[in-house]
Amino acid sequence: MTEILRYEGRQRVRGSVLVTIGFVLVAGLYVGLFPSVEQSGVDFEQFLESAPEAAQSAFAVGNLNTIEGFLAVELYQFVWILLLGVYVAYSGGGLIAAGIEQGRIDMLLATPISRRRIVLEKYLSLLVPIVVANLFVPIAVALGVGAIGETISLVDLYAVHLLSIPYLLCCGGIGLVMSVAVDRPSIAQRGGLLAVFGLFLVETIASSAGVDWLGGVSPTRYYDPAEILVEGTYDVAGALILLSGAVALLVVASAYFEARDVN
Amino acid sequence: MVAPELNGDGSATGTAPEPGPEPETDAQTRTGAGTATSDRPPAIAVRDLTKAYGDVVANDSLTFEVERGEIFGYLGPNGAGKSTTIRTLMGFQAPTAGTATVLGRDIRDDRALRAAKADVGFLPGDPAFDEDVTGERYLDYLARLKGDARREELLDLFDPPLDRKIREYSTGNRQMLGIVQAFMHDPELVVMDEPTSGLDPLKQERFHSFVRDERDEGKTIFFSSHVLSEVRRVCDRVAILRNGRLVTLERVESLLERGGKRVTMHTADGLTEADLAIDGIAEFTMLDDGARFVFTGDYDDLVSFLSAHSIVEIEIEEPPLEDVFMHYYGETSDRDDSSGEAGDGTASPDERDRRIGSGEPDRGPGPDGTGGRRD
Repeated sequence: MTEILRYEGRQRVRGSVLVTIGFVLVAGLYVGLFPSVEQSGVDFEQFLESAPEAAQSAFAVGNLNTIEGFLAVELYQFVWILLLGVYVAYSGGGLIAAGIEQGRIDMLLATPISRRRIVLEKYLSLLVPIVVANLFVPIAVALGVGAIGETISLVDLYAVHLLSIPYLLCCGGIGLVMSVAVDRPSIAQRGGLLAVFGLFLVETIASSAGVDWLGGVSPTRYYDPAEILVEGTYDVAGALILLSGAVALLVVASAYFEARDVN
Repeated sequence: MVAPELNGDGSATGTAPEPGPEPETDAQTRTGAGTATSDRPPAIAVRDLTKAYGDVVANDSLTFEVERGEIFGYLGPNGAGKSTTIRTLMGFQAPTAGTATVLGRDIRDDRALRAAKADVGFLPGDPAFDEDVTGERYLDYLARLKGDARREELLDLFDPPLDRKIREYSTGNRQMLGIVQAFMHDPELVVMDEPTSGLDPLKQERFHSFVRDERDEGKTIFFSSHVLSEVRRVCDRVAILRNGRLVTLERVESLLERGGKRVTMHTADGLTEADLAIDGIAEFTMLDDGARFVFTGDYDDLVSFLSAHSIVEIEIEEPPLEDVFMHYYGETSDRDDSSGEAGDGTASPDERDRRIGSGEPDRGPGPDGTGGRRD
């Protein structure tokens, strides 16, 4: 029952390793920068207060002069949420559309496998980059933090990564919906990318624009790395909402793909 | 002669086994298939099938049947709508109107059609694969999804370099990989879109001989082609599609009889049309020191005419498919031209005469699955 998942998953291993290496390097860079940031004595809170309100809400998180606050803002709220989210959405955009454009999906559609199963298993193959990145990047971060003589709660660090999985699945789901709706993968991929980026901006701006509720449509609302790292509180309800969102996107994509023509 | 008639509902009547002289075909050497399959639904039954993309009607009310154990050619020029029918039959797209059954399952019922797909092989036109894997790995993958009981046997006949990545494959190798995967799960019915395109002539011949063997084993082969000579060599029956409409459906022998031969000749003594006072000359064109024409008359007449001239060079060949269309089915591409032939899935008496009036014992689709060809 998992033939497509296993096949597609294996196809993703190489890309996942490369992306993970990229994130490990970025994480190493940030961790390596922290001592000099700390020593510079810049008062980031004061800096943020002078920033526009939207920027404040985007980066308002405790103390940048602690390793937790610094990583939360620099690494997780930006690199992880935005870049990895965009990568997963982009990959999601290629899941079905690429096969349609190139005609590869014909071979699958000709087998007795249901379209629903094709969508499900291809979607789940996104777990490969998600899991690989979430396994190895925290190890790199933990080792890096140790190397610069700082300490960080490993439980919180892993919680940041674990709770990012529902968020990333949501991003992948957005890409997947694009992928079944559009025949051209380049458009579906860019659509997924822009949607995730756009939702990030919406959530960032909504609260300061007095339309806080609007930010509720963005997955970023339900996953807050700073809260986990700095305050040690885990938004389990948020994770469940994200998982439900991912399932809903999967159901929509699946239903749409079942009904559509593949010409 | 009892001519088969397609009724308005697409069913066929009047297909009692023909007592007349039967053309010699490989079909006659078949054994068993007819009696074993007579109570089963046709391999494919298309009923008033219409598929439109927006305003473009790619398939217009098609009705025909493919019987079990035959090689059925789906012939038409490029753009006639052949792939559209195939993709609709495979369930890739929904019909705009009408429907079809594949191995007795309605194509509009996804669940039923999927059950049938376990027994259907498919080769898309210009098949596409994952480029980054080796042929071996790709076949392993498909094998897990549908089985591969006959893989090794097929690879003896069609041998793409399985240890190489597919992106390095030539067109011919891709096509061979496509053929192997289409047959490897030993399906009852194999649907192929232009299966020999890209194959070298030797492999084409091997493929033709292979599908004839498969047919003799009782398998049903449905394939599209725009090459008349290919269809001539392998098919039992042919449906011809033009501008999305079914122009004719007949046994391949009768089609060829009316297709004639294209003769191009150069003589030492020059020629005029008046010299060619024999029956069956059409589309006469004067050339320098010669002539070109389509000949549909008695070959003996042609030979005695030729013997009266000093021939420098001569070529007698299959006419291109387009010429067959132009000459026998009307030149115009106006869609209305063929109304009554396929518009409602039936043929008017005149049309029918024109189609099957060649004296050839033509057998349309028979409701008992025998088509009159198998006892």
